[in-house]
Amino acid sequence: MAQGRKVGHGLSERQAALVLLAPFITVYALFLVYPFFRGVWISLHDWNLLAVAFNPDAREFVGVQNYVRTMWGRNIEWSALASPVIQTTSVLLAGLAFLGWRTGRVSRSTALVVGLGAAIFFLLPGFHPGEGGRWYDRRFWPTVGNTVQFVVLAVSGVTISALLLAAALDRQTRAMAVLRTLFFLSQTLSVTVVTLIWQIMFSPRQGLIANVTNLFGGTPVTWLTDEQFAMAAIVVTTVWWSLGIAMILFLAGMQDISKDIYEAAAIDDCNGFRAFRYITLPNLKRTITLVIVLQIILHFQVFGQSHLMTQGGPNDSTQVLVRYIYQTAFRDSDLGEASAMAVFLFVIMGGFSIVQFIVGREDI
Amino acid sequence: MLNRSYYWLVLALSIPAFLWLIPTVWMISLSFQPNDVLARTTSTTALGLIPIPFTIENYASLLSFGQTPMWFLNSVVVAAGMTLGVLFVSTTAGYALARLDFPQKNTVTVICLIGLMVPEQAVFIPLYTMFADLGWHNSYHALILPRVAVPIGVFLMLQFFKAIPKDIEEAARIDGVGWLQIFWYVMLPLARPAMMTLAILTFLYAWNDYLWPLVSAREPEFFTITLGLASIQSNFAQSEGLGRVMASGVMASLPVLIVFLIFQRYVVQAMTTGGTKG
Repeated sequence: MAQGRKVGHGLSERQAALVLLAPFITVYALFLVYPFFRGVWISLHDWNLLAVAFNPDAREFVGVQNYVRTMWGRNIEWSALASPVIQTTSVLLAGLAFLGWRTGRVSRSTALVVGLGAAIFFLLPGFHPGEGGRWYDRRFWPTVGNTVQFVVLAVSGVTISALLLAAALDRQTRAMAVLRTLFFLSQTLSVTVVTLIWQIMFSPRQGLIANVTNLFGGTPVTWLTDEQFAMAAIVVTTVWWSLGIAMILFLAGMQDISKDIYEAAAIDDCNGFRAFRYITLPNLKRTITLVIVLQIILHFQVFGQSHLMTQGGPNDSTQVLVRYIYQTAFRDSDLGEASAMAVFLFVIMGGFSIVQFIVGREDI
Repeated sequence: MLNRSYYWLVLALSIPAFLWLIPTVWMISLSFQPNDVLARTTSTTALGLIPIPFTIENYASLLSFGQTPMWFLNSVVVAAGMTLGVLFVSTTAGYALARLDFPQKNTVTVICLIGLMVPEQAVFIPLYTMFADLGWHNSYHALILPRVAVPIGVFLMLQFFKAIPKDIEEAARIDGVGWLQIFWYVMLPLARPAMMTLAILTFLYAWNDYLWPLVSAREPEFFTITLGLASIQSNFAQSEGLGRVMASGVMASLPVLIVFLIFQRYVVQAMTTGGTKG
């Protein structure tokens, strides 16, 4: 045995663990943990990017002022009827989620996600400037609103179409495999390629859509510069881009549903759409919740589509949170406020990550 | 099984699949058409979906001058560096957390994985100031390092190593093999499929990453192809020529498309595990 000694032979289990953990812990501490806390620290300062770059002492501790300046205003009041439609809907949703959970129709985690969402949608839109009041930053909450609108549209678009496609493609044949590949292909493209393609697709002068419109004698729509259509255009782009991953996750979930159930149901003449409604959907609940949460996390961080296709416009209608953070930091050089918004983003994302973790752990 | 309704289904699905493919086909087709034709109209033949008149001039000019080849090379370096880095730190840490016993192991594991909650967008500002203080911007390591610190790889490898039976290690221990040798000679060969999955996931991510390169690489010499493409997008119609921009887009997509088509099974596997577990 003695001649078999090589480097590391003499290490105890603890020492070996230390050696093996060291590389990751080092980069992790330096490039993720430290930046995270430094971000929180920056958010508590009046910190101008250029001024601090010239003179490191040009920052000033201001406590939570950056948070107040971005998220609060003068004479802000809360009422349960500030945006009646959204708030009433959220109360109804919360009630439905609770009922669904009590009657066992939806799982605890689904109810939790819906409940959490409903609570946010009930509380946040309730804040509004009272008489003579105003928001200190007029753009922040509308930006958050746009982001939420984008998330709701993109997530529902992706989830519904991916679910239907997955149900149709859930067969182990060569033709189906080819079709799955075709639908998945766009997922591998980068955001700049995707936006490049769709920017020109939507172009009123050169675009394929405009060419088709012309063919039928219509007037091309200026998709990306029309306030009515710009958000729809980036949602379409996003659905096209990110349908693949959701479809694959649904297909993986469908693999776990026993084929016997379908065969038994087929004897009772339960096929096609009815089989989908009464067998696939109920058995896929957990996967669906997981995919939705995953998509929310993913799409809340949207940046490229808005930044490259519409530059947040027209009239801020497609301005989203990450782009606003980016602009505040690197165009307006206000790192303090930008970091406060980044912390806000982290809190939202962190909340959904916890939900994702719970859903991932939960046994059906 | 394969009755008539099945063929109808395939036929019915071919229509959306074809529509789904059109934007990509259009990009490829435009990249093979002359710029002066495209300046007039993009729908010469079959709405522009068939590249007639045909030219490879766009690719020739891309390769002979312009910055696209350099950006392409940068992307290769960054993606390869990031992939190797992630594989190294994830397999080592994943193995230690899954198989070795040490004090406070649970605490260490939680600390290592809690970073999964932190999105890139929440730390890119402090990272920017840090790297600016160090004078590291516009370099390969600035583009690579922040993504090596992400715990998703550790999580995937930890899950994988946990599933390997204990007795393999114990047999080696009885023979007097050291822990690091076990890791290197016994565990790593077993982990090849998982490493492959992780490598592909990281490569795709690295190749397509946009926000951090946008912030860190301000000089065109250090643009990745993803970033470079964004920088020429805004003026595609005027100076660059639509055909050439589309050719850059095709070049930017080629490696990921090839990786995807060759390793399709791994990619799907990677996205499924990365998606549900991450």
